[in-house]
Amino acid sequence: MAYAYLFKYIIIGDTGVGKSCLLLQFTDKRFQPVHDLTIGVEFGARMITIDGKQIKLQIWDTAGQEAFRSITRSYYRGAAGALLVYDITRRDTFNHLTTWLEDARQHSNSNMVIMLIGNKSDLESRREVKKEEGEAFAREHGLVFMETSAKTAANVEEAFINTAKEIYEKIQEGVFDINNEANGIKIGPQHSTGGGASGAGGAGAGAAGGGCC
Amino acid sequence: MDFLKSGLKTVLGAPEPGHHPSGAETVERLVERVNNSTLLEDRRDACRALKAMSRTYRVEVGAQGMDTLKQVLELDRADSETINHALNTLNNVMSPSQFEEEEENPQVPMNIGEQFTEMFIKDHNNVQLILDLLDEYDFRVRLSAVQLLTSLLTNRPKDMQEIILVKPMGVSKMMDLLSDNREVIRNETLLLLIKLTKGNANIQKIVAFENAFDRLFEIVSSEGFSDGGIIVEDCLLLMLNLLKNNSSNINFFKEGSYIQRMLPMFNTPEENEDAGWSPQKVSNVHCMLHIVRTLVSPCNSVQIVSDCQRILKNAGLLDSLCNILMASGVPADILTETINTVGEVVRGNVGNQEFVGNVMAPSNPPRPAIVVLLMSMVNEKQPFSLRCAVLYCFQCYLYHNEMSQANLVQTLLPSSTDVSNLTSGQLLCGGLFSSDVLSNWFSAVALMHALIDNPIQKEQLLRVLLATNIGSSPVSLLHQCTLLLQQTTKLQSKVALLMLLSQWTARCAGAVTGFLRAPSAVAYLVNQTCSNDHDDNEYLLQGLSAFLLAICIHFNDDSVENYSRESLKQLVVRRVGMETFVAKLSEVSRHELYNKAAKHPQLRAKAPAEVLIDYEFCRLFKVLEKPDGEGGEWRRGSGWGWGRGDGCGAGWGGAALEQYKALIRQQDARLQELVAQLDDMLQQNHALQVALNDSKSSNSLLKDENTLLKAQVSAAHGHSIEAHDKSQYEAKINQLTAEINRLNEILKTTQEEKQKQEVELEKLKNDQDDLLILLSDLDLKVNDYKSRLVSLGEKVEDDNTEVQESNLT
Ligand SMILES: Nc1nc2c(ncn2[C@@H]2O[C@H](COP(=O)(O)OP(=O)(O)O)[C@@H](O)[C@H]2O)c(=O)[nH]1
Ligand SMILES: [Mg+2]
Repeated sequence: MAYAYLFKYIIIGDTGVGKSCLLLQFTDKRFQPVHDLTIGVEFGARMITIDGKQIKLQIWDTAGQEAFRSITRSYYRGAAGALLVYDITRRDTFNHLTTWLEDARQHSNSNMVIMLIGNKSDLESRREVKKEEGEAFAREHGLVFMETSAKTAANVEEAFINTAKEIYEKIQEGVFDINNEANGIKIGPQHSTGGGASGAGGAGAGAAGGGCC
Repeated sequence: MDFLKSGLKTVLGAPEPGHHPSGAETVERLVERVNNSTLLEDRRDACRALKAMSRTYRVEVGAQGMDTLKQVLELDRADSETINHALNTLNNVMSPSQFEEEEENPQVPMNIGEQFTEMFIKDHNNVQLILDLLDEYDFRVRLSAVQLLTSLLTNRPKDMQEIILVKPMGVSKMMDLLSDNREVIRNETLLLLIKLTKGNANIQKIVAFENAFDRLFEIVSSEGFSDGGIIVEDCLLLMLNLLKNNSSNINFFKEGSYIQRMLPMFNTPEENEDAGWSPQKVSNVHCMLHIVRTLVSPCNSVQIVSDCQRILKNAGLLDSLCNILMASGVPADILTETINTVGEVVRGNVGNQEFVGNVMAPSNPPRPAIVVLLMSMVNEKQPFSLRCAVLYCFQCYLYHNEMSQANLVQTLLPSSTDVSNLTSGQLLCGGLFSSDVLSNWFSAVALMHALIDNPIQKEQLLRVLLATNIGSSPVSLLHQCTLLLQQTTKLQSKVALLMLLSQWTARCAGAVTGFLRAPSAVAYLVNQTCSNDHDDNEYLLQGLSAFLLAICIHFNDDSVENYSRESLKQLVVRRVGMETFVAKLSEVSRHELYNKAAKHPQLRAKAPAEVLIDYEFCRLFKVLEKPDGEGGEWRRGSGWGWGRGDGCGAGWGGAALEQYKALIRQQDARLQELVAQLDDMLQQNHALQVALNDSKSSNSLLKDENTLLKAQVSAAHGHSIEAHDKSQYEAKINQLTAEINRLNEILKTTQEEKQKQEVELEKLKNDQDDLLILLSDLDLKVNDYKSRLVSLGEKVEDDNTEVQESNLT
């Protein structure tokens, strides 16, 4: 229950690329072939461990359609990480990456970690976008890249966890201002027994006191 | 007024002697001054003067000054005083309330603030302008901007929500103000956010994403939880907005461990607190209870409800709630709502039900809390709403829990020896036969809930004997109920007993037998069914009697000689006639109160007269009544289909399978048809929407023009304009008014049309849902039969997989 840090993620990308399935695979470890269209934004959460620390991931799954684009924009600012997803069997979803990236860069805080994901890697026979192309795009724009399958669960854990690792490193390097919740990072309520709710001091690395709640 | 004018002289310069400028004239000159003056001080003074006039001359200032004021907001941003005057002026012009100054003035339309708001927000940049001003740190500018946004939201909530939603930082900016350390701004922002989040799920989610729950809990705790002032209530109202009908946010609330943070809100008052509850505290606690109920509402998904229930128990909240139940000095309406809340926190959750079952009341002698509650339920002197709450709580306590059902019945059985202790069962029996109708109804329904889906307890309850008069031999509870049914003249008692008997006898041959053996029971039912009285309640009674008869036929094991299944059927055919019988049955679901009850597990009666039908009875009725075809044939094996309980034994084979397949195909076709219709409807709806928008926008254009003209006319009064000019204007106005009326007409018919379409659409959607459920039921059955066939060694061709798949597309 208690966590050292909480990270907020968003998942973005064209509709139908498998964003909701990725979230479901990560939080519930299952794949649902027939899936409702996401309306607006849906929420999921899971605990992971990095460097021996419990980290809570709060993940917002957005709707890809143009009609919801402006709603999605409201979520960039408060997120520490973003999974930008395309579908390797649909070239158009790859072509739209630039637009998504521009949108994200414009509305997010500059430290947000963006992970590029080519999903549906199980559908090799229908592949339209080469893995090398994804890698090249990621290199060019300074993103981390990975191909995943929400169906077989291949690389799904890794995608979410590697993003968290990246954020964690940035925290260690002091890049993120962890006392500003608007960055999408919260320090957990340290489970010091007996103490009141305030004063989150304790073992937290270089974290100043102050507490978040 | 004179005073105002003389005050203005300094700003406007001395007028020509002998000429008294009208209000409109003054406004015009002030607006000109703001527009043309190059000196900031001049513009500032003119804005201040406009503000002073904007209450008395709202129409004039709005019509002539709106554009100018917008410019000020853009160009004079550096001067917070000027900005503040401009914001205040706009806020007066668009205020949703009527000013004292206007009360005497019939010229000012009632919804003038709304009309100006509509004009103002039509250009979305204007809203952006105000949103940008939220970034200003200056106290008054920030406050005025928040207040202006609140006014705009009050006047045009839906439009404003849509506009703000598409401004990327719109919601975020407002959320930031919640952390403003100037309390006034924080508090006004709360009011703004309450308006902003009302009924818009997307905005609710963004606000939650922006850490609203953290902020709100911080404020609530710093203000002293339930003992805090109205600001606590505002925080809770905002939380409620965020959670209501928003499963995503409820999920977030639960996952974010916010439920645990509610605990201090429910700390029970100290023993010695005789001072009573302040009205504010009552409101605060009401909101808190409401939040808990929103989390565990039976309308939410089962998953969410059971998770929240578990957390509420583990976090100690259920315990706190029970403490409130047992505390003294709790106001009656809080007590009532707490009882309802406890009910929903335990409903269907065995652990929580057990917990409540073990709570002891601090009475003398100590009694289980449940018993104490039931004492209130069957006590005429208790408030009506409290008694309803106890029933609901008790139903929740029994819901899906065989143990608590068994425990209740157990207290009535002869073996339970301890006569000195008052038990739940005794209380309910007392209520059942009391002279108070409501006690009859509550008790019968409560007892009925001990039997739902529980064949064992139906049998057990048959063993219950009542000692009636001293000397005469004991009578079974079943016979006593049947006797009472025939004797009572009160509608509510009759209905309650018929519901109890139906639940009891359904799927329980033993109870059917017992009922058929009761003196004159059958004759009574047949007579009731035949009755020809015309009135909704009579129809209901006839229908309920027919329903009980139908159950006695269908679940009959032929053990009562004169009333075997066959002979009962003959009796119905002869005395009532099959068609009449089916028609009477269908009367039940036509009753207004049936439809109300079917909607929600909680009895939502405002007055004793509305107490008539129970939710669970509706469910029983729906399951048993469902005929295969429209006409509802009354034959064994069809009509009263319902497979459950007494299967029809042998005879099911390939034919049945074929029958189901055919049915599936048929349903599938119907489904396709409905989908096509749905598409049609959606298109039509879209077309209508477009037409509606068109006429709306031309309508609002005309309205704007009209408002402007009106203002100009009143300005013209001052200028003593030529009479014929005036009449020209008036003619124009008349013409425009007529045009507006015409457009309004069109708008209205379009809207009505659209509404009709929407209702139709909803109906089709429901139909479709029903069909889908039916289909999946049938699928299951087909598979079942298939495997039964396979196990019988039959070969089954696999063509129905294809049927299944086409259903999914
Ligand atoms: N084969 C395959 N199908 C997938 C995968 N991920 C998603 N899908 C399918 O792609 C469709 C769209 O998925 P969804 O998660 O709703 O997309 P979203 O609009 O991005 O949320 C669904 O029919 C999924 O079953 C995957 O990794 N492999
Ligand atoms: Mg989706």
